[in-house]
Amino acid sequence: MSPTAVLYVAQAIHGLAYGMLLFLVASGLTMIFGMMGILNIAHASFAMLSAYFCYQVLLYTGNFWLALLIAPVVAGICGVLTERFLLRSVHKQGHLAELLITVGIMAVILETVKLFWGTESLVVTIPPSLKGLLHYAGLTYPIYRLFVIALSVLVLGIMALILFKTRLGKIVRATVSDADMVSALGVNTPLVFMLVFGIGIWLAGVAGAVAGPLLTVFPGMADLLGMDAFVVVVVGGFGSLLGAFVVALFLGELNAYGIQFIPRLAPVLMFAFMALVLALKPMGLFGERE
Amino acid sequence: MRNKPYKWILWGVVFIFVVIFPHLFSIYFTNLFLAFAIFSLYAVTLNLLLGYMGVLSFGHAMFFGTGAYATAIALTHIQGFPLLPAVLVGGLAGGLLALILSPLLVRVSGTAFAMLTLAFGQLIFVLALKYREVTGGEDGIGGYSVPPLNIPGVVSIDMTNQINFYYFALAVVVVCLFILWFYTKTPLGSIVTAVRDNALRTDYLGFKLSQTKAVNLIVSGAFAGIAGAINALLQKLVSTVGVLDISTSFAPIMMAYIGGIGSFFGPIFGSGVIYLLEDLAIRLTERIGLVNGVIFILVVLFAPTGLVGLFSTAKSKLFHKEKAS
Repeated sequence: MSPTAVLYVAQAIHGLAYGMLLFLVASGLTMIFGMMGILNIAHASFAMLSAYFCYQVLLYTGNFWLALLIAPVVAGICGVLTERFLLRSVHKQGHLAELLITVGIMAVILETVKLFWGTESLVVTIPPSLKGLLHYAGLTYPIYRLFVIALSVLVLGIMALILFKTRLGKIVRATVSDADMVSALGVNTPLVFMLVFGIGIWLAGVAGAVAGPLLTVFPGMADLLGMDAFVVVVVGGFGSLLGAFVVALFLGELNAYGIQFIPRLAPVLMFAFMALVLALKPMGLFGERE
Repeated sequence: MRNKPYKWILWGVVFIFVVIFPHLFSIYFTNLFLAFAIFSLYAVTLNLLLGYMGVLSFGHAMFFGTGAYATAIALTHIQGFPLLPAVLVGGLAGGLLALILSPLLVRVSGTAFAMLTLAFGQLIFVLALKYREVTGGEDGIGGYSVPPLNIPGVVSIDMTNQINFYYFALAVVVVCLFILWFYTKTPLGSIVTAVRDNALRTDYLGFKLSQTKAVNLIVSGAFAGIAGAINALLQKLVSTVGVLDISTSFAPIMMAYIGGIGSFFGPIFGSGVIYLLEDLAIRLTERIGLVNGVIFILVVLFAPTGLVGLFSTAKSKLFHKEKAS
């Protein structure tokens, strides 16, 4: 391949890796929104929490794979507890109170993280098997980013299988579309809420943990991931998984090529794109309802 | 009912306290008190949307920050720019931004409104960060001096004197608060509340929904801009992280909610509580954000009407009166 083509392909893979990470975060966010009507402001904060857990487990055990396994699960448990003890008790007060409580949770997670780990960037070292570069047809590419893509595809594939091929998935999809009706049919919807919230946080946790070595772990991580995931959910349409997927990949590429060619405009471009979509379709590209 | 004597006595005490404040306390507390006053105004403008219109503005810092930047830019680039127009230009900028955004914002409500305002807030934040020729980027704009208050032929008051500035800024805040309080009592203010309570019915009664919402948005944006302008004059530095970032958007939400969104004075009260807490907490711990966050969660969980609501419930229980509000 010619050097220019190599550059383009490398940026495309860059964008794909970031897009997949974004989708991991945004998928949970959009499902929680579709199901419970809550915009979980603290969603990316849990991803950041997972990254810190990953760092900590790695520090204790020295095993990256173990850390990658444990951290998202612990974050998910935190999410379940949050849903059970905080969100559920304000549910009857309406969406505003739920939204506000996630703002409070975001602040508390941010400060807790600063309290325990400080404000400096922490470096997560990856195992030797993931280090190094892959050489293929003139293209040199870091293996870790390819691993991020592969892991995301694996996790999302399993999630898609559960969501579209099992009875549990059917209940979850039905609850996303009409929670009251599903409740009337005798399904324990609060349990489904809790489960989906936990799984959503777990997905974000996976994203946070694998993003750790790429971005380093620092308190601003939540804002970085959260804002982009938020744009994905808003543009893709509230509660639409397909929309989130398409837009996450698109934004990933937009980011990658934008930074390459118009570094100053790239972040502005993203928000301008969102403003444009919202002006034309207030419910997002694939959204159906408010 | 309205002319209860104790109310007048209360206002008199507050007035005297505010007037002699800079002579009682050091300049540090005077400036802290001013910051509290500015954020009270800012929180009240947010409450115009949250309490009176029933929508949550998640990017309110864009109005505050635009006002602050407008004032700072005017003072930096125009020689001898007078004081009052500097404040007004901030309000104008905030109102103009609200006017531009209003066609989009009046179409949505609920969570969608919160997201849309958050999106535009972030857009403005990123724009200010990237266009550093105009805004100074992360460093912001500083080094301008506060011009004297000039009434031609009558008086010229030096505003670099901090006590003089204290009186001026406080007067602006109080006048703005009074205008806003009056605004909520006008028929237009009542229609805004009617739209919140039952939009369909208000529509059928012949009132214009979108226009009413838009006017309320512009009023809120303009006064938030004035709050930002005074903040710019007080701090003598305007930077993206200080006036446009997401925590500047969250602060008035916390203040309004802790104070109580059901009443006009709730946000002022909440702002006072937060400033008092911060000043106390800073002596004991460095984790002000943690303290604030926990208190905020507790208020949302257990006192959804805020502290003002809590007080009025307690009062009515104590004196066996019929329940207030």
